[in-house]
Amino acid sequence: MAGLLSQGLTSSEQAEQLRRRLGYDLPLFQQYLHYLGRLLRGDLGVSLYSGQPVSELIGAALPSTIALAGASLLIAIPLGALLGGVAGWGSLPTFRRLAGTLASLFTSLPVSATGVIGLLILGRLAGSDPPSSQTGLWLPAAVLGSAASGPFARAVQAGLQSTRRSPFILAARARGLRQNGRLIWHAARPTLPAIASLLAVEAAFLFAGTVVTETVFSRPGLGRTLVRSILQGDFPIAQAIVGLAALIYVATQVIADGLARSADPRLRERT
Amino acid sequence: MRLARLWLGIVVALALLAPWLAQNGPRDPVASALAAPARGLPFGADALGRDFLARMLVGTRLSLGLAGLAAAIAIGAGGAAGFAGAMLGSTADRLWLWTTNVLLSIPSLLLAMLLVAAWGPGIPAVVAAVGIGGAPVFSRVTRTVVLQLLGAGYVAAARAAGGGRLWTSLRHVLPNALPQLAPLAGTQFGWAFLGTTTLTFLGLAGDPALPEWGAMLNAGRVTLVSAPRLVLIPALAICLTILSVHALTAPSEIENTAR
Amino acid sequence: MIEFEPLPGGLFAAYAHPLKPNTLMVLPRLFRRSVLFIPVLVVACSSRDPSLGTLGYGLTLAPTGIDPHLNASVELGIPLSSVYDTLVYRDSETNGFVPGLATEWEVSPDGLSYTFFLREDVRFHDGEQFDAEAVRANLEYTLDPEHASQKAASMLGPLLEIEVLDPYTVALHLEVPFSPLLDSLSQVYLGMASPKSLTTWGPGDYQFHQVGTGPYRFVEYLQDDHLTLQRNPDYAWGPEIYSSRTAQIETITFRFFEDVATRAPALESGAVDIIGELPANEVERIAQLPDLEVQQIPIPGQPLQFMFNTELAPTDDVRVRQALVLGVDRAAIVSTVFGGYSPVASGPLAGDLFAISEEAAFPEYDPLAARELLGQAGWGGGTGLELRLVVPNWGSNPEVGQLVAAAWEQLGAAVTLEVAAGFGPLSQARGEGNYHAIGMNSFGTDPDLLRPFFASDGFFNWSGYHDPRFDQLLTEGTLESQSAQRSSIYSDLAERVREQWLILPIREYVNLVGVNRRVEGLRFSPQGWFPYLIDLHLRP
Repeated sequence: MAGLLSQGLTSSEQAEQLRRRLGYDLPLFQQYLHYLGRLLRGDLGVSLYSGQPVSELIGAALPSTIALAGASLLIAIPLGALLGGVAGWGSLPTFRRLAGTLASLFTSLPVSATGVIGLLILGRLAGSDPPSSQTGLWLPAAVLGSAASGPFARAVQAGLQSTRRSPFILAARARGLRQNGRLIWHAARPTLPAIASLLAVEAAFLFAGTVVTETVFSRPGLGRTLVRSILQGDFPIAQAIVGLAALIYVATQVIADGLARSADPRLRERT
Repeated sequence: MRLARLWLGIVVALALLAPWLAQNGPRDPVASALAAPARGLPFGADALGRDFLARMLVGTRLSLGLAGLAAAIAIGAGGAAGFAGAMLGSTADRLWLWTTNVLLSIPSLLLAMLLVAAWGPGIPAVVAAVGIGGAPVFSRVTRTVVLQLLGAGYVAAARAAGGGRLWTSLRHVLPNALPQLAPLAGTQFGWAFLGTTTLTFLGLAGDPALPEWGAMLNAGRVTLVSAPRLVLIPALAICLTILSVHALTAPSEIENTAR
Repeated sequence: MIEFEPLPGGLFAAYAHPLKPNTLMVLPRLFRRSVLFIPVLVVACSSRDPSLGTLGYGLTLAPTGIDPHLNASVELGIPLSSVYDTLVYRDSETNGFVPGLATEWEVSPDGLSYTFFLREDVRFHDGEQFDAEAVRANLEYTLDPEHASQKAASMLGPLLEIEVLDPYTVALHLEVPFSPLLDSLSQVYLGMASPKSLTTWGPGDYQFHQVGTGPYRFVEYLQDDHLTLQRNPDYAWGPEIYSSRTAQIETITFRFFEDVATRAPALESGAVDIIGELPANEVERIAQLPDLEVQQIPIPGQPLQFMFNTELAPTDDVRVRQALVLGVDRAAIVSTVFGGYSPVASGPLAGDLFAISEEAAFPEYDPLAARELLGQAGWGGGTGLELRLVVPNWGSNPEVGQLVAAAWEQLGAAVTLEVAAGFGPLSQARGEGNYHAIGMNSFGTDPDLLRPFFASDGFFNWSGYHDPRFDQLLTEGTLESQSAQRSSIYSDLAERVREQWLILPIREYVNLVGVNRRVEGLRFSPQGWFPYLIDLHLRP
């Protein structure tokens, strides 16, 4: 099917014809069912403008976004674990508060603002070289990764705080286990379910975050494709990208659930 | 804490006083492009020669106002849905559960973007989309709180004493629910502010001249190197506002998650 | 004590100092090690492939359709004018025409027949032979009313019949003389495509499988993502205006940079070697960078302009239109948005090429007269005046639109500014008819490019102004072949356009092209936008 809108619509009658042809005049519910049907066949629709399959267009933009999301995750998880660990288990109250504050900071600040500030700081540090030209992947990943580390850190912190004082830990310490990695691992295990489900939230966070980060750092990817499709009214593309994000989000939640059950036997008995 | 209150106080005051404080209109070109800060133009001019301070001042109104509207939608729609779900029995509750789960399966920012895609870019679309994006979470909390209260002894006692169901809930549940939900309104505002500034940053507000902080942050990117103040100032304003809101609402949030 | 250590790439690794007992790392060492892998991953992803033989070119607009026979965008011509050859080529030095796919041509004394003698050694990229039948197939494809050609068809004017005289001779027969014909045949919109491919793919899909005879082959195109060209090793029939006989770069990849803020970074980081439409206020800084230079290329054709809708109140009143033109300080707008790089436009045609008389020029900013006119038209003080301005998202139209809207608001009007994200949304807005001014323009080297905009049945007559005198002038302009006479005819037309205040002309286009110094030989065709890709070579 060639680009329906590539010639533009020159009258409202044409627009109405197009709507009917695309099935947009059907009740929403029916449209949704049709969409699901096509989805099961792997057909994500075509761009309203070029007629090219949405799956191809998304496929071209996907690698750049995955690279950014992956690199950000690689930063978010250790950073979040670190901050959460210090905040929940650190011996000095100053450090605990500092880590906690940092985690809060990272969660609440929008990537649009922090990304831009990051670019400016880099520009100052690099002297006269224009900042946005030389960041490569690491600066956007650092910005998005630190933003994503916040919720993760808070979950780790909360988990550790609640188990730190629990009887079995006190018992273990009484038995002579010193405060070291093994003890923490034992303390952390009950919190793993909560943390695992947080990872699903991270996935969602990252999806939304990559949209903004790509814009800030002038990177190609799904973010740019999504925004452009919204501005142009190329709905099939927008629908497919958001649908894909939702799918991944739900999938990660299911996986996280599974991981949680295997880590904590108490959860297995529940339905 | 104190700093948070101070900053928010300043921002709200500026929002209210903006029309009288700004010397020039936010859309009127008054100087040459990218004019440096000088007397009469404390923040200099933007790429189209407009008074940047005036735009930031008017932006205070817009940014806070749009976020407030979106938060109001989230609280109103979410609260009503949660209340209804808890009150009206199993069918309504199941419908609520289904709707909320569907909506929650999409990250709220992307849900908002999808709604803007359906309605077309523009300020009403952005506000409504962010509002609806935030509603499911709030409705969930509302439902939990209301269910808790319904299970409390005194409600059953009031019903036993002969009060009608709806009347009982309005009289007993609502006044007790509100104090628990009120702190969350602050959090909702924080998320709404994040949502509206992000969507305007992405250019989905439709009006290219909009003097709103997120939109201005986006517009400043073209001249990031030659005029960094045009991005730095809105970025700082956004960050400080969000941080202040979170500082004031976070303690109650931690309480709630710990339960 | 948590220690921080800088790693290459600017990251920090956090680790626990082993001698201080109260320090704890939360997660097992697995995560600690993975942090160290990040710089490696990052460096691998960010380095650019330096292999010679590849060039990155930045396009600034993702056209909704890229079939030159059917679509009007100039952006498509940037890659595609090297995929196709044309019958003749325009020589910018002599302003005449030189042989291309046609070795010579004859025009009958009455101007109604053009006979072209074609080269016999030309092959399409798919191996097919180029001949007179191919010419006919192309022109028929272009003229087919069902294909709805937006530009190329009107460039052929009163073409009646295409007659194949022998395998390598073709005659075009016109209903009336048409002086722009050779100019039309020199442009990519009438480039010669392989008839076999045209029939195989059809009008909708052909754009993704284009086959020409040019120095570069079309490899693939993915909307808003990339368009790839590859050198045609068999190319041996280039016109004399090309400096090289054959292309010297193996692959050229075009990527899209519609977001203005992404163009300078793309050039500076090396993601592209050439990109046009740089924002004016970044040019000075970019030109001073050691690896880059900026070329300023004037583009003949129409200026950046807004057309008034004469079919919708209040712009149906000529006094209102005049007020809206006089009430805008065009010189100030051009200076703000385009720095010193663009001349202020003074009429419907831009460029010295057209030699439009000074008398037809639009007057300067006169806010007092504007207010008076509004008062006369019944809009005293601008009260109640509601205007809707629709602008496309290219060429700094949104910025100009904001300043024009601000100017009209100074007159007292309430203005809504809408930015159409692309040609598709723009023509949709046009179709809905709810606009008082809309931005759209075309480019070219023959003044007949005005015809679609001002003829009563013109495809781009978005002002809705129908005037038989305009049609008459436009026809006279194509009947006349002497350039001095043509200039006076089009000057006459320009004056009448001004009399009716049909447009608000802003600036004459100048393309600010950023070039990486590793690329040499960049030259543009007389149309301004289209580079001779065949002449590009990389510094060794």
